[in-house]
Amino acid sequence: MFTASPKLRVRSPSPTTVEFTVTTAPSNILTRQVVTWSTFLLRLLVCSSAVLLVLLKYYPPQTLTLSTRVHAYVHPLLQYISIALAARIPWQYLLPSAIAGLYIAIFIPGCTEESLLVIRDLGVQISTTTWGGRRSRFIPTSAVRDLWIHEGFCGFEVRFYLAVVVEGEEGVVVVFPVSFAPGGDGRGANELGGRRCCRTGGFWNWSGGGRKGVYMSLGGWGGRFSKRHGHIIPLVG
Amino acid sequence: MRPLVLTIVVFIAGYITARFSLITQAIDLSYFAWDHGVLGRATKGFLILSLFFFLFFLPIERIASREISLGEFLLMGSNGLMRVFWPLDFQRSSQPGVLVGWRNSELDIFVVDILNGVDSRRVAKELSSRSLYRKSLHSVERIFELCGRTELHVLGSVNEEPGPLFQPDHIYAFTDKSCRYPQIFCPPASGIDFQVILFQRPHPRRMQYLSLTPISLALEDRMTNGSIGDGDDTIEEQRERERKAELVEKLKLHSVVRPTPTMKEKGLQMIIDQINCSHEMRQLLKENVGLIMSRRSRRSLSVSERVVESATSLWRIVLKGLMDTAKFLWPFATKLFVLIILVWRLVAETILRVLEWRLRPELAALKDISATAQQFDIRLQQFCYWPIQYVTLRRRKADWESVTTSHPDYIRFYNSLWLVANDVIIGIALGSYIIENAGGVAYQIDYYLRSYTVEGMKAMIYWLTKRPGGLKLNDDLGDFLGDLFIWVIDYWADTMTNIRPHLPGVIYAIGFSSFAGASMPIALFSDLLSILTLHVYSFYIASARIYNWQLTIIISLFHLFRGKKRNVLRNRIDSCDYDLDQLLIGTILFTLLIFLLPTVLVFYLTFASARMAIIMLKATLETLLACLNHFPLFALMLRIKDSKRLPGGIRFELLDTVAVVKGFKRSYEIPPLSYINLKSTPLPFGAMFHQYFQLGQRIRKHYVSPHVIICLMTGRFVPPIHRKNLYSMQYSMLPTKRAGMLELWIRLTEDQPGNGAVPANGRTFG
Repeated sequence: MFTASPKLRVRSPSPTTVEFTVTTAPSNILTRQVVTWSTFLLRLLVCSSAVLLVLLKYYPPQTLTLSTRVHAYVHPLLQYISIALAARIPWQYLLPSAIAGLYIAIFIPGCTEESLLVIRDLGVQISTTTWGGRRSRFIPTSAVRDLWIHEGFCGFEVRFYLAVVVEGEEGVVVVFPVSFAPGGDGRGANELGGRRCCRTGGFWNWSGGGRKGVYMSLGGWGGRFSKRHGHIIPLVG
Repeated sequence: MRPLVLTIVVFIAGYITARFSLITQAIDLSYFAWDHGVLGRATKGFLILSLFFFLFFLPIERIASREISLGEFLLMGSNGLMRVFWPLDFQRSSQPGVLVGWRNSELDIFVVDILNGVDSRRVAKELSSRSLYRKSLHSVERIFELCGRTELHVLGSVNEEPGPLFQPDHIYAFTDKSCRYPQIFCPPASGIDFQVILFQRPHPRRMQYLSLTPISLALEDRMTNGSIGDGDDTIEEQRERERKAELVEKLKLHSVVRPTPTMKEKGLQMIIDQINCSHEMRQLLKENVGLIMSRRSRRSLSVSERVVESATSLWRIVLKGLMDTAKFLWPFATKLFVLIILVWRLVAETILRVLEWRLRPELAALKDISATAQQFDIRLQQFCYWPIQYVTLRRRKADWESVTTSHPDYIRFYNSLWLVANDVIIGIALGSYIIENAGGVAYQIDYYLRSYTVEGMKAMIYWLTKRPGGLKLNDDLGDFLGDLFIWVIDYWADTMTNIRPHLPGVIYAIGFSSFAGASMPIALFSDLLSILTLHVYSFYIASARIYNWQLTIIISLFHLFRGKKRNVLRNRIDSCDYDLDQLLIGTILFTLLIFLLPTVLVFYLTFASARMAIIMLKATLETLLACLNHFPLFALMLRIKDSKRLPGGIRFELLDTVAVVKGFKRSYEIPPLSYINLKSTPLPFGAMFHQYFQLGQRIRKHYVSPHVIICLMTGRFVPPIHRKNLYSMQYSMLPTKRAGMLELWIRLTEDQPGNGAVPANGRTFG
């Protein structure tokens, strides 16, 4: 809903701190505000109208008893909605469509912003901001066991993803999870794709490239990638 | 030995001297040298060389060594990273001051405070003589140990004119009223990258703190062996866990090279501790610096002041007398209280023993069967745990407030207290309603039970015997089964009529029990429900057995019909040559049973669905109980009121350096610089309700698993979910092993002297 094509933004005020952000929000700050608020209002409108219609269908306004002051303003409106819509649509259409509307309004992803912040000697932070809020996970460098590029199946295609293997944890932490997820837009990731990452003295240093897929070499680990995945070209930094 | 060697050497030397007349020759040589002016030339040469040395070599050596040290620094700084932790609530003024803090390594410093109006050398002296920690209430060593350092250092100066070079051991920073962030002097030529990590100091009095790992609301020993690997999980879960552990082991083999973590990387936990302690440390420094600044001599009191003092002291004497009496009585009061608690504890222990008693180890205890017993068990265990929790929390008072280890205990303790209070309040409301309307409630319950489990069941069975829904069932078998069940139902209804007059009394008792909490009537009602629907349970079992037998017979006869036979020894189906009469009788029986199956199936389905409905009702009641016993009410309230008290980890935010630099007042050149905001992330709601999700998942896994569905379809007994599984959540805030009477006595009695002694200890320290 009102999303722009994903863009990659890299902020690196000093060589020891880098932040990569993949965002589907419009770059202009005014447009972004407008889009954010309008989508929020739209969601609110859809949710409230779905609930209102179902309620009006169940309790027709004739049966309601409201206080007189509220009554004067609200009652004609409710009456109008009830007669115009709620009474006309039969239950078997109203209920499924209301549920579908609620579902769409709540679960449709709006502008998504995902970022990876690498701070030397501190760690890696992965955060995802959707309309539901911001979720972030910080992994200290001492807890990072490995960094992986792997391919994963998404529907009928194979996508590469960057993942952090955390010490003593069962699963890996996928960087940019939404962009890589099935149904997510992989374009942002592909744009990120030509970057390479090398570890020099305990720090992941990223620099530009221009190929599809994510190329990465992690100091001594670079060679292993080439053996395991023939098509990933290791670039030793 | 040595004198002998010496004698021989002296002898040889004397002999050589005598033999070649060396002394005469040396004197000759010196005469010769003097005659030819050798001595004068040597002196001249020595003088020239020393002049040369003083004029050229010394300055060059000095310059070179300085250059070398500079060059070394440049080399080191080419990828040097200076990390500065800076609190966001620093005093923003343009006064000169001294930066005081921890020096974690040469290029890793942590600012605790800016001291204004003092000299940096003096502060360093006071810090090393420890006179700046004088007024601390608790041991200073303790807070140093918490922060992982042995002393505070002077890190640099604020708003003073810097020298030409950057020195990491004394940095120069600038603050200004209009600028939110500090500016740090560092010429880019020094080749140092800067990370300024800004943080908001957590307030220890408000129990805020930062933590790398999310705060756990359940007890730790539960987390490690309670919910994860307790043996009560299904085999499937265990196998899954083992598989994952194996994968994790394999993962370890993948990383061939693992760079050794640097000191800075390892020090993150220490830095978090330093942040947690920084508020109190700053408070301490502030107080003592104020003292140093204003040291005045005390003058003696004047006459009028003495008069006023003696007048006020009369009242003080009276107060002191009262205080002394209270102090004298206090130990007796506490002893009495401890004794009362112990007596109650004894009673609780006895009841708990009864509830946990098993006839044989593999049999179920009372608390595994009845919800009421379970509820009693939970409440009593909570009661046993409270004194210990309280003592642990009291101990917190004797230590620095920055010690964050007991914060989760605090939340757990008050959460359970609050839940019990809530439970009692709801219980009183519910109880007063039930007691006032005992007759009506009893009538309602009786009415619903009669109309659904007796009348409804009867009507259903009648309907089944008379071709339900046009389905042509076997009339004779249907009549037989129907009569059988109706006969039992009638007998049950007779018993119920005998019970009916006593029902209001039972309801009255239930209502009375609800003054002990709303969970009690719910548990009692759940038990009552299982007793009053006993007949449905027995019908279900009986019909399931019949259905299951018939199904197994049909399956084996089907094999016979096909000319096969099940080989039990090899667990497979073999071909078999049957005789004609065997085949004939088998086939006839097979047809007969096939035609009788729908009738039995219909009865089975009815009772199975009735049983399922009752199970669902009981599950709802138990969920209600779980909510009353375990809902993270206090944690939710904290999350809304002050989310910093429930840390769920940390988060960094990269600030826009250009915008930050714009605010700087001093126009020095700026090195590569990043300003990072360190924040605490609150515990997500998902983590708070984690155990509810786990419970839901377990129930779903148990009842929607293919195994259970096949059991239902073939009429085999559906294993109920293990009560321990269902209730592991409710026990998650209680220790697995409760403390014994003796331990409680020791913990309660050692508390009193401990509380008095520690502050005194702190005072002697200062």
